Amino acid sequence: MKKRIIALVFCSTSLAVLGLAQTAELPASAPVEKELAAHASNVDEVTLGKNMLGLASAFMKGKDKDDAETRKMIEGLDGIYVRDYEFAKQGEFSAEQVEQLRKYYETTEWSPIVRDHDSKTGESADIMIKMVNGKSDGLFILDVEPKEISIVLILGPVNMEQLGQLKNLALLGALNGAKAAPSGNGKH
Amino acid sequence: MELEPMDEFEQELRQAFERWPAPPGLKRKLMERRHKPTQRSWFAWPGFAASLVSVSLCVAAVLTFYGSHERQQEKERREGEDARQQVLTALRITSHALDHMNQQLAAHNRANHESSQE
Amino acid sequence: MAHDWQPDFEQLVDEHQSMIFSLALRMTGDRGLAEEIAQDVFLELDRSLSKIESAAHACFWLRRVAMSRSADALRRCKVRRVDLWVEIDESHGVRVEERISPLGARLEQLLETLPEPQRAALVLRYQEDLTPDEIAITLDAPVATVKSHLQRGLKLLRAKAANHLKDYVRQKEFVRGA
Repeated sequence: MKKRIIALVFCSTSLAVLGLAQTAELPASAPVEKELAAHASNVDEVTLGKNMLGLASAFMKGKDKDDAETRKMIEGLDGIYVRDYEFAKQGEFSAEQVEQLRKYYETTEWSPIVRDHDSKTGESADIMIKMVNGKSDGLFILDVEPKEISIVLILGPVNMEQLGQLKNLALLGALNGAKAAPSGNGKH
Repeated sequence: MELEPMDEFEQELRQAFERWPAPPGLKRKLMERRHKPTQRSWFAWPGFAASLVSVSLCVAAVLTFYGSHERQQEKERREGEDARQQVLTALRITSHALDHMNQQLAAHNRANHESSQE
Repeated sequence: MAHDWQPDFEQLVDEHQSMIFSLALRMTGDRGLAEEIAQDVFLELDRSLSKIESAAHACFWLRRVAMSRSADALRRCKVRRVDLWVEIDESHGVRVEERISPLGARLEQLLETLPEPQRAALVLRYQEDLTPDEIAITLDAPVATVKSHLQRGLKLLRAKAANHLKDYVRQKEFVRGA
């Protein structure tokens, strides 16, 4: 089955208004997220409003280069909402659940720029951005792998170039690199 | 709950993290503290006792204030560090998601390119 | 509620002092502080002995209080190892000469560079052989969170230990060649 891709398209479609409000407020969790969490072997949840981001930013002042880069990245943001669900084996979540997630976050304010679905493997990649007065005011990423679902929602002026530099942050690079380290037979 | 058997590295960790023996004097010091009698001083002069109580109350008030100020600072430091860790976690997950998407798109582009050349 | 088990304070101290001391030491990296925490934990046990219902309960209670006090002490410490990738200096808590393997000694040092929640989860898992569920109850945290801390902490330790082994092998080769 061929992949369907709709890439780099800015379109205003009339979609049901769900989830995201007009003001930059973090959404409540989609109902389907509870189901995903119940079956996940590992869950990471981050919900940071403007105040907490300010606190984190203040805490990074005067620290090392990586902290300075991170602080630049989050300065001015209104909120970060991230959910990462890892599953012990494939087949722990359905395409319908992924579609529910997608529909929950897709509102009229958000324009899809990447939509890549592989119906054979079940993997998919969705990126949407929120534009206000010609400037980006939010980024949404839904990444679906056979054993992992990641939801990233960033509210506020997102610097896409800086996001592309994420790999250069030693702290993150080390953690990502550690995934490739030999793990032997055991698993957590 | 069933766990996967530990791999070699985890076995190494178990070995490395064997319990340390307690320091030889730990129990003795502990028992000394446990049996230390509480000292009470009684003064015959009510005036002196009253002054002592007032001074104690003032000191207690200052210490409570200082203590709560320190606790507040400690709380803020803890919250700041927690917030920082959460930011790093969020960025790590974002980086991983973007990496995966890049790989997906690159693979698709390659497949498209190959099929257009056939 | 009446229970048949009669606690013997000294016996509990004998039985658990190395566990408490080890937990506190691995959490704080400071022998003096660990000893102090161990004493405080047992003194608190002495005050709460009437609430302890069994030997197993005593063990659980001691672990829980030790971890809580160690975490508090750690947060109060002014010196924080926040940057995970800076080579750490020898701390006065290191007992390298007592360790059999250099990797084991290094793992102890590397543990001290981890964030407190990951450190706590790893210590309870690999020192105490607790399952993630048991760790969650001890730390009063959700199981999913504990699993996340275990996974991340283990990944970091693997990566750092792998770097250490490369250096170790390089050093040995250098010495052999000299």
